[in-house]
Amino acid sequence: MSDSLSTVYEVIVCGAGHAGCEAALAAARTGARTLLLTGNLDTVAQMSCNPAIGGQAKGQIVREIDALGGEMAINTDLTAIQFRLLNESKGPAVQSPRAQCDKKAYQFRMKHTLELQPSLRLFQATVTGLLFESDGAGGRRVVGVRTNLDLDFRARTVVVTTGTFLRGLMHIGQNKNEGGRLGDFSAKTLSASFLEAGIELQRLKTGTPPRLAGRSIDFSRMEPQRGDANPTLFAFHDTRDAGALFHVEHGSPAGEPLREARLGWEPGRDQVPCWMTYTTERTARLVRENLHLSAMYSGEIEGVGPRYCPSIEDKFVRFADKPRHLLFLEPEGRSTNEFYINGLSTSLPFSVQVEMVRSIPGLEKAELLRPAYAVEYDFAPPTQLYPSLESKKVENLFFAGQINGTSGYEEAAGQGLMAGINAARKTRGEAPLILGRHEAYIGVLIDDLVTKGTREPYRMFTSRAEHRLLFNHGSAELRLRGHAREGCLVSASRLARIEAKADRIEHWTSQLERLRPAAGETGVGEGTWADLLRRRASKGEAQGSGATEIGPHGFLELPEVDRAEVRYRIVYAGYLAREQRQVAKLLEVERVNIPLDFDFAAVRGLRAESRTKLMETRPVSVGQAGRISGVSPADLSVLLVALEARRRGRIEDQTDR
Amino acid sequence: MSPALPFSSPDSEARVTLRASAGDTIAALATPVGRSALAVLRISGPDSRRLAAEVFRRPADQIPERRPVYAAYHDLAGNSLDQLVWTYLPGPGSATGEDTLELSCHGNPLIAQLILADLFSRGCRPAEPGEFTRRAFLAGRLDLTQAEAVMDLIHARSERALAVAQRQLRGGLGQRVENLVARLLLALARIEVYVDFPEEDLPPEDRDLVRAALQEVLRGTNRLRATERSGGFLRDGVKTVLLGSPNAGKSSLLNALVGRSRALVGPEPGTTRDYLEELVRIGPHLVRLFDTAGVNPAPGEVERLGMAKTLECLTEADLVLWVVDASRPSLELDPVYADQLRPGKVLVVFNKGDLAAGFIAPPDLPHPTLVVSALTGLGLGELGERMEQAIERLAPTEEGDEEMAVNARQADALRRAGACLGLVLDGLAAMPPAPIELVSSDLRGAVDALGEITGRVDQERMLDALFANFCIGK
Repeated sequence: MSDSLSTVYEVIVCGAGHAGCEAALAAARTGARTLLLTGNLDTVAQMSCNPAIGGQAKGQIVREIDALGGEMAINTDLTAIQFRLLNESKGPAVQSPRAQCDKKAYQFRMKHTLELQPSLRLFQATVTGLLFESDGAGGRRVVGVRTNLDLDFRARTVVVTTGTFLRGLMHIGQNKNEGGRLGDFSAKTLSASFLEAGIELQRLKTGTPPRLAGRSIDFSRMEPQRGDANPTLFAFHDTRDAGALFHVEHGSPAGEPLREARLGWEPGRDQVPCWMTYTTERTARLVRENLHLSAMYSGEIEGVGPRYCPSIEDKFVRFADKPRHLLFLEPEGRSTNEFYINGLSTSLPFSVQVEMVRSIPGLEKAELLRPAYAVEYDFAPPTQLYPSLESKKVENLFFAGQINGTSGYEEAAGQGLMAGINAARKTRGEAPLILGRHEAYIGVLIDDLVTKGTREPYRMFTSRAEHRLLFNHGSAELRLRGHAREGCLVSASRLARIEAKADRIEHWTSQLERLRPAAGETGVGEGTWADLLRRRASKGEAQGSGATEIGPHGFLELPEVDRAEVRYRIVYAGYLAREQRQVAKLLEVERVNIPLDFDFAAVRGLRAESRTKLMETRPVSVGQAGRISGVSPADLSVLLVALEARRRGRIEDQTDR
Repeated sequence: MSPALPFSSPDSEARVTLRASAGDTIAALATPVGRSALAVLRISGPDSRRLAAEVFRRPADQIPERRPVYAAYHDLAGNSLDQLVWTYLPGPGSATGEDTLELSCHGNPLIAQLILADLFSRGCRPAEPGEFTRRAFLAGRLDLTQAEAVMDLIHARSERALAVAQRQLRGGLGQRVENLVARLLLALARIEVYVDFPEEDLPPEDRDLVRAALQEVLRGTNRLRATERSGGFLRDGVKTVLLGSPNAGKSSLLNALVGRSRALVGPEPGTTRDYLEELVRIGPHLVRLFDTAGVNPAPGEVERLGMAKTLECLTEADLVLWVVDASRPSLELDPVYADQLRPGKVLVVFNKGDLAAGFIAPPDLPHPTLVVSALTGLGLGELGERMEQAIERLAPTEEGDEEMAVNARQADALRRAGACLGLVLDGLAAMPPAPIELVSSDLRGAVDALGEITGRVDQERMLDALFANFCIGK
């Protein structure tokens, strides 16, 4: 790749956090000439808050990222130091993998992956502004970026992933520092570029707890929480290309396998525990007595914080009758003694933080390595985006991650992946890839953002997905294989293995519904194998552990992941069928697209309120229009008629010519 | 629910998604409510043939096409709701381009509503405003130039429906449903918190608490749904027919009940040649009084016309006031009329009691009796009370329900919510416990169904309830 500044990139990604890394890799992997700009190459893919990936709904997102050719899943598998499957006692649809990661190992492996990715270039510079040109129709499009080094880079599309850096302001009590993260800078001028282009910005707030020195912690006073002996991984290792765990190594310039030089461990080996402890009455008293010193409670902070991740101040104020709060100490890695204290996020002054930490069993002598702090930052309300994550105001400009008002590494990575894919597709003149609400959590995430916007940092919950029963984590690559194929997001050989797996699962699901146990087998005369499985499930009997597995010979030969999916489809058949029927019904309107140039103002019969909302949101399908609050079924009827009239009008025009 | 398979085969299709798609079968009243002698119901969609076969008890392959048929409509319980005329039109040669079924039943709003409710129970859904016309347009049955007219029609209908709905919702129904929704969301939050926050320090899961709350909601849902019948009465009035020989004083009685002169009253028998109707309030009930032409053994030409109308009125009556002149008491009645006088819906009113001092009603009548005078007001208070009692028997109302009036659509939504709640309660009681995400799926179905009455319930509200009640967050 030429190093000349005159290179016109197909995609420039601004920011190398979890969104930026996925965006850059996704674009480059489809062959787009891509440039990834970051203010500091040493903080690529940094976990600014807790050193963990996955959890409820988030774990499913990570598996979806893997199904669409992203990196987060494999990067986690190879750098995690503890794996746990959450909700193991509940049904497969709501089970989620979660992992503690080695924070530095995660970053190093991701940086190395970026470095070795063909058609991707990395460069350290802070983006200070966007370069626009007129689109000739009264609007503007982005054509590149300006950096703090006074170097301009030109591109056909730009993906912005600024995280918390956009006018980032950190608070520790009354102390304020500019920056998106402790020790890092603040992107102060970029906001002006957005405002210039008519993109509205608002403020959000988030926070992070103190970090402690491990040697100062008395673990004997805490309870360990250990990983699963049999770890549930994020990447689909059963369909991955042989040696693909380290496939980037083979792409190294020297042609030598770099396995030894690469970070990454055998997943699940030598797991490290987390530790549980609780706040005390003294903690509560300290918080209450010093509430007036908290940045949150003294009115210093204007941004809105997340309700699901409250500061310790919030917990004691809002739930005053709850005597104590659970805390987790999470190790930050194998090569560090630093611990993250999950549950103690605060914006109290540092002196109070020290006392507060030391009021907790096991932490009486704790040394703080880094203070807790709150951070405020600009975000661009995401209703200003199309479902492709492209700006409605500026053509070719894409947004992903916290700038869209989300929270969480996984939510950021999911958006980054989609923005990268869609930016690259745009340069090739292809239609954007848009995941439906019925297909993936990533689809729910983006649809919620662009349709409803958000008032607080948006986090995914399984309950946000109407069809979460279809979203069991093991089915991600089966659900999304059509998109993977169509967008060439996974290799042809992996795709073939996914298709073969899908065929096996469909074959055995129908076989088990048909076949009955033969003479001499367990359960003779009790109906089909499927009936037997359902009966066992309704009795609450364990499924799938080798000894208790039932089924015909061929079925028992299948890999466990296949059998698990077959069992799920059989045991939950009634509910899954109902979900599928609802989805089919929904798709009839979901598939009715609204052209981008459709004139809502000219549609007769829309109520004024709906017309205003439709013009603001500019939905791209009748389905999306229906999810805008205040738009009634009658409005949709009117829209359907107007769209049909337009379509027929076009046909008549063509026949006339 | 089958206890053996608590989560393998939900039969309730209660979660209804967006209401704009074709592919399902819709039903609605095509004529204005409570106005005409005949009510026309329209059904459009792929289930039309199946429905015709079911309700008219014919094999599905022997449904006459494009030909009116006279038959009894049988509801799911096997009752004959009405004798009516129906026509089946297969698509695409129908107005909507889909298979359609048209029913012309008697105009009694109660009958039409019972039929609609039955159709909903059989899998139809209520049509959106203007949906028949929309389907016709999308099916290519209307040309492009009509598109704007279609949009205007949908708009007008939906505005009207909205106005009606808002009036109703202001009348307390909205609050009642909203209260049910809020309690459902709290129950859902109590379930979801264990799904989405398994790592939190939460109080132990209490399924009994959730069950108790939901049983309460189910009772509330059923109570509201039970107002449908009386709701029909409340909206359209209890159809009450004044029957009697010429000059028995029916019109005077009507005027006395209305409290002002409304009908044309004259000294000559047979002055009331057609029927007149008047709305009055009897206790908490709205009553639609029909003053009929006199029942004359030897009618003239014009009178004969009125008599046919009288019979029609009588067939559809919820309540009959048989007015007899107490000064010349004659209980002779043409069998054509007498056959319609089923016990329970008839009150024999001996009028002109002021002219017949000491008159005592014959004790052997199969109907309750009382003596009044429309002229002096004698016994009118008692008449009101007796009518009220009779109406109560027709449609029991509960305390606090006077303001409620659910229509067929709302009743359908309440029915589906109730069906979902039944599944939820079974799931919560099941041993071993049913998977919580399936219980939640049914519970969301109930929320969505109630949301059709008050407006779509945003998922965000469940999260609001969750974060307000549980301390979440590490």
